[in-house]
Amino acid sequence: MHTKRGKWLLGQEKTALYFLLPSFLVLGLFVFWPIINSFILSFYNWNLFDVVHPFVGLDNYRMLMQDERFWNSVYQTGYYTLLSVPIGIVLSLLLAVLIKLPLRGMTFFKAIYFLPVISSFAVIAIIWSFLLDPDIGLLSYYLHEWGIPVKDWLRNPDWAMPAVIMVAVWKNIGFNMVIFLAGLQEIPESVYEASKLDGAGPVRRFWSVTLPMLRHTLLFVVIISVISSFQVFDQVYVMTRGGPVFKTETIVYFIYHYGFEELDMGYASSASALLFVVVLLITLLQLRIFKFNETN
Amino acid sequence: MKIKGYGKMTALALILSMIALLTAACGNGSNNKGNAGSSPDSEASAVTGEKVELTFWNGFTGPDRPAYEALVQKFNDSQPNIHIKMDITPWDTLLAKLPTSWVTGEGPDMAAFSYSLIPKYAKSNLILPLDELYKGDLKEEMFPQGLTKVLKYEGKWYAAPANFATLMLYYNKDLFKAAGLDPEKPPTTWAEWQNAIVQTTKTSGNDKQYGLVLADHATIPMWPILVWGNGGDFVAEGQSKMLDPKTVEAFKVWSDLVNNKGITPTGLTGAEADKLFQSGKAAMEMNGPWMTAGYTAAGLNYDVAPIPVGPGGPATLADSVALVAGRNTKHKAEILAFMKFWNSKESQEYLSLNSGFPPTRSDMLDNEKLKENAFVSKFAATSSSARFYLSGLENYAKINDEAIVPAIQFMTINKKNVEETLQNADKTLLGLLSGK
Amino acid sequence: MRQVAGRSVSYVLLFLAAVAIAFPFLWMVLTSLKPENEIVRFPPTLWPDTFTLSAYQDVWNRIPFMQFFKNTVLFAGGVTLVSLLLDSLAAYAFGRLQFRGRNLLFVLVLVALMIPVQVTMIPLFIMLNKFGWVNTWIGLILPRATNAFGIFMLRQFFIGLPKELDESARIDGCSEFRIYWNIILPLAKPALASLALFHVMYNWNDLLWPLIMTNNDTLRTLPAGLALFMGQHVVEYGVLTAGASLALAPLVIAFLMAQKYFIQGIAFTGIK
Repeated sequence: MHTKRGKWLLGQEKTALYFLLPSFLVLGLFVFWPIINSFILSFYNWNLFDVVHPFVGLDNYRMLMQDERFWNSVYQTGYYTLLSVPIGIVLSLLLAVLIKLPLRGMTFFKAIYFLPVISSFAVIAIIWSFLLDPDIGLLSYYLHEWGIPVKDWLRNPDWAMPAVIMVAVWKNIGFNMVIFLAGLQEIPESVYEASKLDGAGPVRRFWSVTLPMLRHTLLFVVIISVISSFQVFDQVYVMTRGGPVFKTETIVYFIYHYGFEELDMGYASSASALLFVVVLLITLLQLRIFKFNETN
Repeated sequence: MKIKGYGKMTALALILSMIALLTAACGNGSNNKGNAGSSPDSEASAVTGEKVELTFWNGFTGPDRPAYEALVQKFNDSQPNIHIKMDITPWDTLLAKLPTSWVTGEGPDMAAFSYSLIPKYAKSNLILPLDELYKGDLKEEMFPQGLTKVLKYEGKWYAAPANFATLMLYYNKDLFKAAGLDPEKPPTTWAEWQNAIVQTTKTSGNDKQYGLVLADHATIPMWPILVWGNGGDFVAEGQSKMLDPKTVEAFKVWSDLVNNKGITPTGLTGAEADKLFQSGKAAMEMNGPWMTAGYTAAGLNYDVAPIPVGPGGPATLADSVALVAGRNTKHKAEILAFMKFWNSKESQEYLSLNSGFPPTRSDMLDNEKLKENAFVSKFAATSSSARFYLSGLENYAKINDEAIVPAIQFMTINKKNVEETLQNADKTLLGLLSGK
Repeated sequence: MRQVAGRSVSYVLLFLAAVAIAFPFLWMVLTSLKPENEIVRFPPTLWPDTFTLSAYQDVWNRIPFMQFFKNTVLFAGGVTLVSLLLDSLAAYAFGRLQFRGRNLLFVLVLVALMIPVQVTMIPLFIMLNKFGWVNTWIGLILPRATNAFGIFMLRQFFIGLPKELDESARIDGCSEFRIYWNIILPLAKPALASLALFHVMYNWNDLLWPLIMTNNDTLRTLPAGLALFMGQHVVEYGVLTAGASLALAPLVIAFLMAQKYFIQGIAFTGIK
């Protein structure tokens, strides 16, 4: 059996090649090759509008390290992550727990909560910037009528990022909820029954049964939320374009600005390379956690 | 057993490549149609005198689009041998695609973009010089003076105007009346203007109202008008004017009105300022001719007037989208024909009447049809005092986005000290002017 | 008694959340039914004074809506079908086969998953320009023909399936492809359905890629069409909200149809 298994391993390598080849051809040509290209460009002074593109070694990286605008984008990305991840998770977990209850009409609620997930950010931005307009927006008007002070959200350097975060949380809440719901369905009913017999109320049950049983799902959601926060771009692009005074400019928006608007590919690539290293570290960390997961 | 498996896999691979081939076949078909400039058959056609197809990329989205499309159609109908194929995409996508395509030897024969990009593209040789355009039917004297300046780079012509706009003062007649001002007599001097602005501003709770809405980003620039009106400037002859006493004074006067009198919300985009004016929450706004159609359709009781004259003399902002020829084109003669057609009196009359923009030419002020259109003639009349913002600078966008817009936002949103903010902006500006 | 109270509280909370989440969409649809002069005004209203379908007529008259719709279906559908096939093939190798270098290759997949598209789009566009693939269906679809997230998700699902399934099939002499095609894929329906929804959703709404990769209306998709109503200086809110409502409707229907599989699919995907 053992020797046969060894032979099998060799045989499967060839089979695996066939199975992997189509995907890796596509990934190699359209993802990895441009990444490698962009990495090479990061050592050149490469602006599309320049006629010559000299090799400059680590100059782009050195400039980046001294660029206040870059560090600001790092800070804003961190701010976004620290706020949007916990708020998004708490709210979507709450909804998942509620929607899991065996009540009528849950399919309807699920569909409603998923609406923002399936709609495009371009449309969402138009709607929200209209609703949030402090002077003529419907939402601001209602808030004002109810005596709640209205902020000038997207126009205010201090409130623009919280507003962007709020809209992002609103958009993703349904997605996280579905993942939590999937996790909740894995928890056997008998565990709840046992804890009910012990006289635990719904809140106690949540802390002592649901949350511990859900920890792997929770971890998964945390990780994908953190990674997508590092890549946050769409919501900023459509709502604030990084303003006011750069207060919503994230790393990927910074890269977009230099790569797409200035077409300064060398500089944009050096920022991409740094982002890539950070993201790679998270990936490896994630792999470790998943390994730990499988052995568990 | 293994061979059987691989047979299946090969079949799958075959099917996949067949799918790829099929889609490639369809795709290439449309590609040839789309890229006339680079496909071999169109080169041949230029020699044999067959129909030439010119590709033309621009960002004329929005309500003006039908007028531009119709004018292109008129040209196509009038020309047996030239067909213009126009593609409209939002400006930001266009400006990423355009240079990238031209650098790789592709891209359209012709494009349109803001005058402010001409120096950058001309310097990189991405667009062709067009001196011969102004040696025939078109002459420099036919166009407003400021406009001809921005169509040139280092003494050579690089573009023909696609449109021309100036900014005027829009004012809400109802709000003027309510504030006790004469709606038939808009302000003409800064003193009258500032008085009217303060009169129409209401900062108290429920019926908040703004005297003059000023947008500072994602907009046609409004602040330059205020700086010029005081005799100040941003850049002149390659030198920073941020610390010129007139510039500093202009910012002091107007940021004081913003910060202490609440004449406008701060941090506005152009679209937000328009919404405020359209909903009757703002009494005045500086804007271009493109808003007249929308405000009229919304039933607003408004009119436009020349921007009130400041201590520095009459000043308003001019803007223009320019037509340029891509460096890879093989059909320069046809492009020149199109540009001539576009700037002929007949075409400009059509475009003005259908888009509300004043004509690109300054020799049409006595055109009867344009005179009948009150708005068009008013906008056309301001062209002599209209100036282009940051003209002739290769890094227009960087200067505006990194030095000037943040300075305005610091002074108004953050209420920072004017002198200090301008000193910082001056430093940034000097850095940008001297190159990285 | 307590249970009834608990239930009511849950309902109230769920209802409030539903209102908060759905309100912007309600506003969008109602705005699309207003005449243009009712949209921007003070005080703002939710309900139109007069209902009109003129914005929808405008959408219809001013852009080749059916053409854009057809293109969107072809683009989103094409990407989804091809990507489901390639993703599941690769995921099968990662999830069900033993081979050297598996972990290393999988890290590569995860790396691809973590690279924001903005980083590679311009180099990719320059490359596709050199291939002459810009403005072709193949240039539009092929770069998206596989998706790292899809491989990742399906691999998680495949790992969770019991080993006995294919081992017995292998002893019976089935080829790997038959095991993949006849045994594993049918079991993966919920996961495939959820992934299909993701792919459709993402590509249906995508604006930047189809805009950059196409040069004329014969290949343009709906979001690109809607962008035509956003002028540099003037935004036409009525037409825009009408167009957005029309573009969203097919996705809502797709979601309602896939909803049953959707949560099941994610639940099985080994996120536990």
